[in-house]
Amino acid sequence: MKNSLNIFILIGIAGLLVSCEETITLDLDQTASKVVIEGLVTNETGKSYVKISKSTDFYQTGSTERITSAVVKLNNDRGEEVIFAHNPSGEKKQEGLYFASSSFKGEIGRTYNLSVSIGSQTYEAQDELFAVTKIDSLGYGVNDTEQEDPEIEGKFYETLLFTKEPSETKDYYLFKFYRNDTLDYSNDTDVYFTNDEGIDEKIDGFPSPVYYSLKDTATVEMYSISRNAFLFFSDMSNLLNGDGGMFSPPPANPRTNWSNGALGFFQTSAVSRETIIIKDEK
Amino acid sequence: MYHVTLFSHFRLHASTKRLLMYRLFLIAFFIPVFGFSQEKFTVNGYIKDSSNGEELIGVTVYVPEIQTGTITNPYGFYSLTLVPGKYKLQYSYVGFSSQTVEIQLGKNESLNIDLVNEATQMQEVIVKAERLDANVTNLQMSKRQINMDQVRKLPAVLGEVDIIKNIQMQPGVISAGEGTSSFFVRGGSADQNLILIDEAPIYDPSHLFGLFSVFNADVIKESELYRGGIPSRFGGRLSSILEVRTKDGNNKNRAASGGIGTMASRLMVEGPIKKDKSSFIVSARRSYVDVFLKAANQKNLVYFYDINAKLNWRHNNNNRFYLAFYNGRDEFKFDKTFGFGWGNATGTFRWNHLFSDRLFSNTTVIGSNFDYKLELKDAIQGFIWKSRLQQFSINNDLSYFINPKNELSFGYHLSYRRFQPGIIEPNTEGSIFTKVEIGKQFALDHALYIDNQQKLGDKVTLSYGARLSIFQTIGKSDIVLYDDPANNVVIKRRDTLQFGFFEKIKTFVNVEPRFSFRYLIDDKNSVKASYNRMVQNTHLITNGTVPLPFNTWNPSGYYLRPQLADQYAVGFFRNFNEHKYEFSVETFYKDLQNVTEFADNANVFFNQDLSVEFRQGKSKAYGVEFLAEKKEGKLTGFVSYTLSKVTRTIPGVNQGLEFAANYDRRNVVNATATYDLNPKWSFGSNFTYSTGRPITLPSGRYEYGGVYNADVITERNGYRLPAFHRLDLSATLTPKRNKDRKWKGQWVFSVYNVYNRKNPFTIYTRVPDGPTDGRKEARLVYLFPILPSVTYNFKF
Repeated sequence: MKNSLNIFILIGIAGLLVSCEETITLDLDQTASKVVIEGLVTNETGKSYVKISKSTDFYQTGSTERITSAVVKLNNDRGEEVIFAHNPSGEKKQEGLYFASSSFKGEIGRTYNLSVSIGSQTYEAQDELFAVTKIDSLGYGVNDTEQEDPEIEGKFYETLLFTKEPSETKDYYLFKFYRNDTLDYSNDTDVYFTNDEGIDEKIDGFPSPVYYSLKDTATVEMYSISRNAFLFFSDMSNLLNGDGGMFSPPPANPRTNWSNGALGFFQTSAVSRETIIIKDEK
Repeated sequence: MYHVTLFSHFRLHASTKRLLMYRLFLIAFFIPVFGFSQEKFTVNGYIKDSSNGEELIGVTVYVPEIQTGTITNPYGFYSLTLVPGKYKLQYSYVGFSSQTVEIQLGKNESLNIDLVNEATQMQEVIVKAERLDANVTNLQMSKRQINMDQVRKLPAVLGEVDIIKNIQMQPGVISAGEGTSSFFVRGGSADQNLILIDEAPIYDPSHLFGLFSVFNADVIKESELYRGGIPSRFGGRLSSILEVRTKDGNNKNRAASGGIGTMASRLMVEGPIKKDKSSFIVSARRSYVDVFLKAANQKNLVYFYDINAKLNWRHNNNNRFYLAFYNGRDEFKFDKTFGFGWGNATGTFRWNHLFSDRLFSNTTVIGSNFDYKLELKDAIQGFIWKSRLQQFSINNDLSYFINPKNELSFGYHLSYRRFQPGIIEPNTEGSIFTKVEIGKQFALDHALYIDNQQKLGDKVTLSYGARLSIFQTIGKSDIVLYDDPANNVVIKRRDTLQFGFFEKIKTFVNVEPRFSFRYLIDDKNSVKASYNRMVQNTHLITNGTVPLPFNTWNPSGYYLRPQLADQYAVGFFRNFNEHKYEFSVETFYKDLQNVTEFADNANVFFNQDLSVEFRQGKSKAYGVEFLAEKKEGKLTGFVSYTLSKVTRTIPGVNQGLEFAANYDRRNVVNATATYDLNPKWSFGSNFTYSTGRPITLPSGRYEYGGVYNADVITERNGYRLPAFHRLDLSATLTPKRNKDRKWKGQWVFSVYNVYNRKNPFTIYTRVPDGPTDGRKEARLVYLFPILPSVTYNFKF
């Protein structure tokens, strides 16, 4: 919700100021690249991974450099340790990705500590895996505004989420939307996250931000996240969508749970998921 | 002298301070009074514009026999107490013919004067009396009076005359860029300016996010900006006072005027209710962008309006009453589903009363309301969000004209403020939102001040005084206590304290010494110095460069300490060529404590734990300002140059390291000029140049979560935008046939940004549209290209 307000305000301002813009070349200082660690442990088997890469110069082309030689260890508060191995399949596109054994899954209520050693440097982060609210059902409908002027012909259906959000606990969520098994964003700077402040228990038909066409398979995933993860995603959203500090805050690196100056976040989540096929007009 | 010693003692602890304050009051009250023994009489009165009865502020009343004089106060009143005898009183004011009146003073006398506006009379030769020159001789330094006649002839963006845009060109004032109504005075942030319309505070002076300001130029009579040497009758903000007074209304004839512009149209009606006794004025302005948008079949709606109204009744010289209102709003609607708006409303009731020939009193009752609203109409996500800030004040300001050498000002101000930061409610049955309210806060603010302006011989004038500010946050409020109020990651509420109705929560007592000094080298040269301490207890914390109407004001209290500023300024003032050219150079040093910022990554929208995002720290500003001005003749205008620097050091922001404030611009040059070619044509121009404002730029990029291409940030405000410069031109055509008819029309043609400079507004980064090779790009945003506009003004 907070995020959507932010975006509304930015749209308002952008729409109002009849502004022009052009691409310019910045004369930026060279700085040392930083380690970026994206860790995810979920309560589903085969879904946990750690991705390690490096930041690069602003104007550097191509993908960023992957780190393939790290030692990645996961511990929980019961003292159990799991080793994540680099790219067991050996596939080129999975370079920089580390996986646990195929049977591993996270447990709700556990606190996890992830440790990443690269050369002489060690980075550590902690997160707690919370239970997630179950999606009761998924529906879909036509988004009227999008139907009037669809970006892609025929793509104006939205999924509708039905659930009961417990009001006695403080909960935080991250959403992922898939269109025919491909992760989809309405904009590549969108981050779909929320807390439950000011949210009613009854959620009846909360619409998706991405649109679907007839015959599409739509999947919605709801991730429980910790408050720290919520802050990380909120900061990430501000960083990706800032205006350079005129009305919005000046850009800043997202708050992270990583020690030792690494960028990124170690996230532990429980997942609930629903899938629906868009069949015909309702 | 006593004030000097007191001065240094103000660094002592609070209890001693209070005692000293009390003494200061006593001393200041009585010492100057003991000074006179010989029987004296008082001549006083109001000075008005003969054409419409408007009282004139700052008119010089000079008495050559004793080589001294006074100036009219903000209500057009003057009072001089002299030994009996024959005097030639000289009344002079820029743009008006001077008048000399001979009096034989043998009793107390009232002498109201009507001055004749030069612009309204025929081209006859006006013999000017020798006059004192305000630039050199006035005690007040660091003050600029905005000449509305000149501002109207200057080019304006989209033809909409805007006083704030002129303020932004004054020495010592920095603008965040075009298209904003914020201004930054001598290293102060935007919320450190006290903006008053008819003595009522305006909490957000912007229309359309700052494209225009709330001040409709038609109704402005007088406006002044104090950036230093701030008199003790003002308080509550650290950096400047912008005092705008509206016209009282023509009490001789009914008149109407207005204008049709590219952006908005205006209409003003004024006239006597009872001739020479009472008058009214009503003025309205509305933008019509929305009309164009509708015509272009757009579903979006954007507009603003202003209404100013005033009634005044001059019962007699001893009692005058004024009632003034302002109301202005902005409304935005997108697709009929999402909308927001904000507005200010103020009301002022004023009573000017003469307790005696020498004791002038102004009692003011003020109400001010600022609110904003956001609404999303949607079955599921629908909500309405409202926020409001209200202030009620009673001010009593007294001037005691002891003798021509001493003028004592003192008074008491009481304010009550009600802060309602936000309430969110669902607006449909099926909405996922519940009603949430962020705790209301209340504050009581007392201020007592006293100030004596004293002339010591012919050369030296000084003023010394202090303001005692007592600020209390009061109930009914709940104060949440946190384990660590500076931790916005892990927020642990420890306890909640409940305070009852009007129960004291926190009290802040501060003494603000004020001191000004002028030494007249000769009638063309003077040196001035000033010191002031200012205290600010209402804080607008923003995280962008420019405040948005959606930022909320907060009182000092559990989590915010009062902001303090100590400012020292010294200046040299010189006039050339029989006062035709004025020159000044001022240098200042300002030390600010407890300035506010949000923590890095603060969550500022509807946060119930907003107080953990507050950070306070230090700021330091210094600079030098040059100003050359020509006020009379066919060519008038000014050139100003400001060299200044402002830094901030705030724990929790930029890792606690010092950083350049968002509005730190090293070099600023501004020039305005108007040239009256003949009665038909006059021309105006503005030129502005300033160093680019600081900006935070990325030092690298990284990939995250499969889709995100995020920037790496290393240092806040480590870079600068390119320099800002722009030239605007205007021409005003007043057709000759105007002379013989009642309807008088006037065309103003203006060209904004003549050489079409792409002036940087901001820079943001993005992944380029279309196929990408991973690289990001930086986008420079600029607002106005070359913009011609036409405005038609009329009067009848």
